[in-house]
Amino acid sequence: MLGIKFKQSLSFKIIFIIIITCIAITSIIGLTVYQRVSSTIINEKIAISKVESSNALNVAQSHFNIARFQGDTGLNKAVEDFIASSREDGSISGRETVILPISNSNKKLNIFQTVPSLLVLNSIPREFRDQVRNSKDVLEKKVTIYYSNGKKYPGFLIGGTLNIPKSGAYEIYYLFKLNAQYQSIATIAWTLTLAGFLLVLLIALSTRFLLRRVIAPVQQAAEVAERFTQGDLSSRMVISSEDEMASLGNSFNEMASSIQQQIDRLENLSMLQQRFVSDVSHELRTPLTTLRMAAEVIYEGKASFDPNVARSSELLINQIDRFELLLSDLLEVSRFDAEAASLGIVSFDLNYLVRKTVDYLHPSKSSLFDISAPPEAVNIEGDARRIERILRNLISNAIDHSKGNRIEIQIKESENEVSVGVRDHGLGFEEKDAPYLFDRFWRADPSRARTSGGTGLGLSIALEDTKLHQGQLLAWGRPNQGAHFVLTLPKQHGNSVQSFPINLEPTDSNFKNIK
Amino acid sequence: MPLVMVVDDDQDLAEMLSIVLTGAGMEVDLVNRGDLVMDLFNTNPPDLVLLDVMLPGIDGIEVCKIIREKSMVPIVMLTAKGDTQDVVLGLEAGADDYMIKPFKPQELVARINTRLRRNTKVGTLTIADLVIDQMEHKVLKNNKEIALTRLEFDLLAALAKEPGRVFTREILLSEVWGYQHAADTRLVNVHVQRLRSKIESDADNPEYVLTVRGVGYKAGSTKI
Repeated sequence: MLGIKFKQSLSFKIIFIIIITCIAITSIIGLTVYQRVSSTIINEKIAISKVESSNALNVAQSHFNIARFQGDTGLNKAVEDFIASSREDGSISGRETVILPISNSNKKLNIFQTVPSLLVLNSIPREFRDQVRNSKDVLEKKVTIYYSNGKKYPGFLIGGTLNIPKSGAYEIYYLFKLNAQYQSIATIAWTLTLAGFLLVLLIALSTRFLLRRVIAPVQQAAEVAERFTQGDLSSRMVISSEDEMASLGNSFNEMASSIQQQIDRLENLSMLQQRFVSDVSHELRTPLTTLRMAAEVIYEGKASFDPNVARSSELLINQIDRFELLLSDLLEVSRFDAEAASLGIVSFDLNYLVRKTVDYLHPSKSSLFDISAPPEAVNIEGDARRIERILRNLISNAIDHSKGNRIEIQIKESENEVSVGVRDHGLGFEEKDAPYLFDRFWRADPSRARTSGGTGLGLSIALEDTKLHQGQLLAWGRPNQGAHFVLTLPKQHGNSVQSFPINLEPTDSNFKNIK
Repeated sequence: MPLVMVVDDDQDLAEMLSIVLTGAGMEVDLVNRGDLVMDLFNTNPPDLVLLDVMLPGIDGIEVCKIIREKSMVPIVMLTAKGDTQDVVLGLEAGADDYMIKPFKPQELVARINTRLRRNTKVGTLTIADLVIDQMEHKVLKNNKEIALTRLEFDLLAALAKEPGRVFTREILLSEVWGYQHAADTRLVNVHVQRLRSKIESDADNPEYVLTVRGVGYKAGSTKI
């Protein structure tokens, strides 16, 4: 689902990429800032505390050194004051003070020791204590401070040694809690995260807004182009600004106008041409009517004419017949060209229609035909008049070219189609001529005399009629072996032909070759 | 001798028509403009009008309507266009038949003769309460006469003669119009509509001329 959207939508793709990039950049910046800020805060605190503590220790050490000369009570008081003031200061700053004696020293004096009541002494690691004992400097270490009531805090230790005269060496530790610092750092982290999130959102929204402005004209262009393709030549883009997008729209609209003009011009031309053919055919009809009647009147009186005049009147009549046929064929062709041909669909028996057509064309010579057809009716849907015209064209064509040989007519059906094959054993035609056979006024051999009264439009009209029924009309031929025309029609109107019940190549052709 | 009025603006064709029709034993009046038809029609009423569609003045379809307003004379249209639209318009305007140019003169004469033939027969036919007087060429409904063209009368009589028989359009074309070959079945459809609009109380629910779907027409059953 997401993948499909990603492939299909350019704006989705761009927004997606920008969001990912933004998240990466803000994360890197945020993390860097966070680390810098947090380490600065913590280290600063540690450094300052360290300096302060070492100062305090130095001061205390010098006090003790002076106090040793005031006797035990003075010294004790100085030590206790120091411990008390350390605690007091610590209660404000959250600092804990731990003083531990370094063992095995002089035991005759008071041993000072102070540990805050709830502090777990393990908060001070053993290794650190070892380090402090062996060092003269003040040391620091980050630790976790544990309390016996289960609380624990992040913090650090500063440790040093004190020498109390007459008592011995002491380890002194200051424990600083860093929870306040960490809280500030957490606040900063939250602020950074929020700022990053807002930034990403803002960038995504503004990208989307900008993309819309950029892509909307493109989308509109696509929609308009789509409508244009579907034939709505008047659709144009709406232009509301004056930027590059507007120039895209302008160019697009100019292109559309130019195409529309071209198409209109061509349509006009072809309409004019079709109109012309149709008008000519109509206009010729009135003089032809007069001509025909005059010829008939002359023909009626031929008994009293000189034989040459009488024969002439006969030829006149024949040629008028032919002219009339040509005219009606031309008109039919112009109707096909204008796509004005209409179908009158009825259900009828093709078997009966074939026999009727044969009888109509050759009532006396029906012995010329071998008809093989299913015994029962073959009912199909179609325009019976047009299908009869196709059959008449094919059969009269076969009669004209059969040289008197028998003509085989075959009707075969499959579940959804029916084929009519018309096979003659006459002149036939070259294999290479097959594609031109259905061209208007096409002749196989221009030098060959035209024996038939055909108009040269018959097969072309037959093919158009077949196409109107979504059928197939195919031709096979070999010189002097005759021809085979196969008309295949869907039984139900609106379907197309899926299979051919009769093969185009006649089954007897191989046999003929051997012979 | 029957008088045929030939209305055509093509002078040569009009003259040729008159030669052919005179040869077939008819009298001919020639008119070359649509707007001159009614003048002659009133002074010298013809037995049949042969009418071209394309005419100066008023076109043939208009002329046809004007004639039908006052006369039941048979009208045969001459059309150069075999196109559906023209033919249907002519028939709806009241033409009985049409000929597509170019036609053979014998065919024209045969067609005109069919229209002129008065097949006067003795006897009265009925469809329900409709009385068809063949002798007088009258149709009475509730004792009121309904004016029908001769063709419409012939059509109705043909159906009434054999009550219960279903006539296909092809049979009617051959019996009423005299066509030998299959012809345009729209002729039948249009004239049945015209006939119904005259005799039926409700042309959408006919009781005299019934449609048999997919076959043709038959007369409504006679009620007793």
